[in-house]
Amino acid sequence: MTLPDPALLRSMMLIRAFEASLMARKDHGFQLLSSGQEAVSVGLCAALEPDDQLLCSGRSIGPALARRLDPNRVLAELLGKEAGYCSGRGGRGHMAAPARGFFGAHAVVGGNLTVAAGVALRLQGEGRSSLVACMFGDGACGSGALHETLNIAAIWRLPLLLVCDNNQYSVSTPRAAALAPARLSDLAAPFGIRGMTVDGMDVQAVRDAAQALAATVRAGGGPAFLECLSYGFTAHSTSSRESRPRDEVAAARDRCPIRGYTEVLMRSGVVDRTQVAEMTREIDIVVAAANRFADDAAFPSPADVLLNVG
Amino acid sequence: MIYQLLVPGPVEDVEEVRILEWHGGPGSAFAPGDLVVELETHKALIEVRAGRASTLRAILCKEGAWQRIGAPLAVFSDAADEPVPDNAAELAELAVSFEVV
Amino acid sequence: MSAEPDATTKLFFREAIVRALGEEMRRDEGLVLMGQDIGAFGGPYREFDGLHARFGSGRVRDMPVAEGAMVGVGAGYAAAGGRALVSITYMDFLMLALDPLVNYAAKLRYKTGGQLHAPLVVKTTAGAKGQGVAHSQCIEAWMMGVPGLKVVAPSTPADAYGLLKSALREDGPVLYIDHKRLFPMAGHVPVSESCVPLGVARVERAGGDVTLVGHSWMMVPVLAAADRLETEGISCEVIDLRTLAPLDTAALCASAGRTGALVTVEEGQLTCGVGAEIAFRVHEAVPGIRAARVGAAPAPVSSNPVLEAAVVPDADRIVAAVCRLLRGKP
Repeated sequence: MTLPDPALLRSMMLIRAFEASLMARKDHGFQLLSSGQEAVSVGLCAALEPDDQLLCSGRSIGPALARRLDPNRVLAELLGKEAGYCSGRGGRGHMAAPARGFFGAHAVVGGNLTVAAGVALRLQGEGRSSLVACMFGDGACGSGALHETLNIAAIWRLPLLLVCDNNQYSVSTPRAAALAPARLSDLAAPFGIRGMTVDGMDVQAVRDAAQALAATVRAGGGPAFLECLSYGFTAHSTSSRESRPRDEVAAARDRCPIRGYTEVLMRSGVVDRTQVAEMTREIDIVVAAANRFADDAAFPSPADVLLNVG
Repeated sequence: MIYQLLVPGPVEDVEEVRILEWHGGPGSAFAPGDLVVELETHKALIEVRAGRASTLRAILCKEGAWQRIGAPLAVFSDAADEPVPDNAAELAELAVSFEVV
Repeated sequence: MSAEPDATTKLFFREAIVRALGEEMRRDEGLVLMGQDIGAFGGPYREFDGLHARFGSGRVRDMPVAEGAMVGVGAGYAAAGGRALVSITYMDFLMLALDPLVNYAAKLRYKTGGQLHAPLVVKTTAGAKGQGVAHSQCIEAWMMGVPGLKVVAPSTPADAYGLLKSALREDGPVLYIDHKRLFPMAGHVPVSESCVPLGVARVERAGGDVTLVGHSWMMVPVLAAADRLETEGISCEVIDLRTLAPLDTAALCASAGRTGALVTVEEGQLTCGVGAEIAFRVHEAVPGIRAARVGAAPAPVSSNPVLEAAVVPDADRIVAAVCRLLRGKP
């Protein structure tokens, strides 16, 4: 077990405040939020090294910020501005900054799994101890792509850490109605891949499990599968109708990963109330700056619509 | 009697073969069943075996050359010293067996 | 070792492919080949013969029968700084891999603002040859409208060699299409290492009365039809597209502008097909062009030989289409 870390709290708070400011904008567009699920991205990224690569689903804001991308350029990308990481072409569904270890999002459910295996094959061939982490939702666990990826990653012993951010719903379909396995990490077992299921609302539990699994992957032990049981505080997307039972959503909010970890840190004396308030103030400044940066940034010129097509 | 050895056929999809290896040269005697030549198709080998006792007199297609199904590859004779005519076109066809492997 | 600039050597179609792959594997150490049966087995048509022995199982990788993963892994490997050729045995199975090809690889450069690109060749084999409704299709027209994806389909060993080499030097994804009936073919290939540029059609035969356009295996019935039409006093200019995306519109318009008549031939479906695209592009540039299309009957391609032949175009149908266009009757 590792010690409580205020950096984990700050990272989760940044995601929450960043998304809140995004939702306060009239021009936020179509987004998939990570609020409520921050602990999964942040816990995982605490186990990653700079040379590792992270791929994720279209729910990319949490993973991108947890991977320490510049909030200014993340917001610019989300709003379609030229100053974004992908020059405004990718948006939240395809955010990428490979030079910063964020190989990127891909908005097709399960679509990034086989790609991640290919990136892992490349890293393996370069003979480094780096790994590839790929985040996906429980929805992707019903796709054939996961089966294909587990199989190939196992037979080729790829340095691949598969992380299922199980937020219990595929848009409106509850996990129990969509997926047969008792635990989604059980999907790894037939391939001889180590699997773990942890509380995805507990950032330290995610970090510790991710670090343990990452160590075996780096040591050449082949792929690993981490399931994180989480819950989103908002509906699937900014344009989806909320279909989840009201009391279920309320119960999840009671297990808020940020509030829970703040209490852990304060109980253990790592931070006090003043330091948390200071952290909140500092994050507000960062988020306000990101909004100013994105506001000042230009949209791409329509004349450049053919740029980088072929 | 003098014979000509033709590229045997038909072989499914094959119009043309490449001569891979002769298992003898002018003067070599073959008994029935002896491997005479191996031919290469786009995906397989054709082993051509003598259908009667005979002597190879002249190779018309060297190894690496191409020939079409039914076209001449070599001249054979019953007796090793029979005179070989200049024009092979009128000759009888040498009986062979062949197998695609 | 040097050869005369125009010297050629005769090779089977598969050997032209092996040669292109071997040369590019030697030239680019990041190039990896992946697919079903391509390792020690040497490929479904022996078009990977000897490569596994030369380059090892790390660079010539047999894969499980999982086309989505083949192309997805290839795309990821390519995007991460490598280069990949993925073999999809039959083009029908490409449907299982369209997500990584179309949604990921073809869009990667655009969607990342140029940060990533996928130097990926997906090699597959199209066409009818007795194997039935899900092993016979020619769906290249589906792929021609995907921004970011190039499509090539050679009809000779020389073009297979030269186009495959060019494809393996591209920055983005290329779909390279063989045809089952081309593999028995042999032909002359340059002795010297060389490439055939993408996007350039070839005038296979000059003529004055009508322009015949085809690609891949259809060039064989197209040329047979042109021979027969010649004896009936109709002179055909025959164009082999070689690259379907990007189309060599300039070459097509130049020829059709001279002849005033255009007949397109494809083995796939006519609706939204290669010929529909070509005919309209030529129509836009050459007003008054007379045009006709020859393609598959609107039915699946059965393994039943009678029904297969009833679907797929042949020289008779091409001759009839030309005569109808030029003379108003078959």
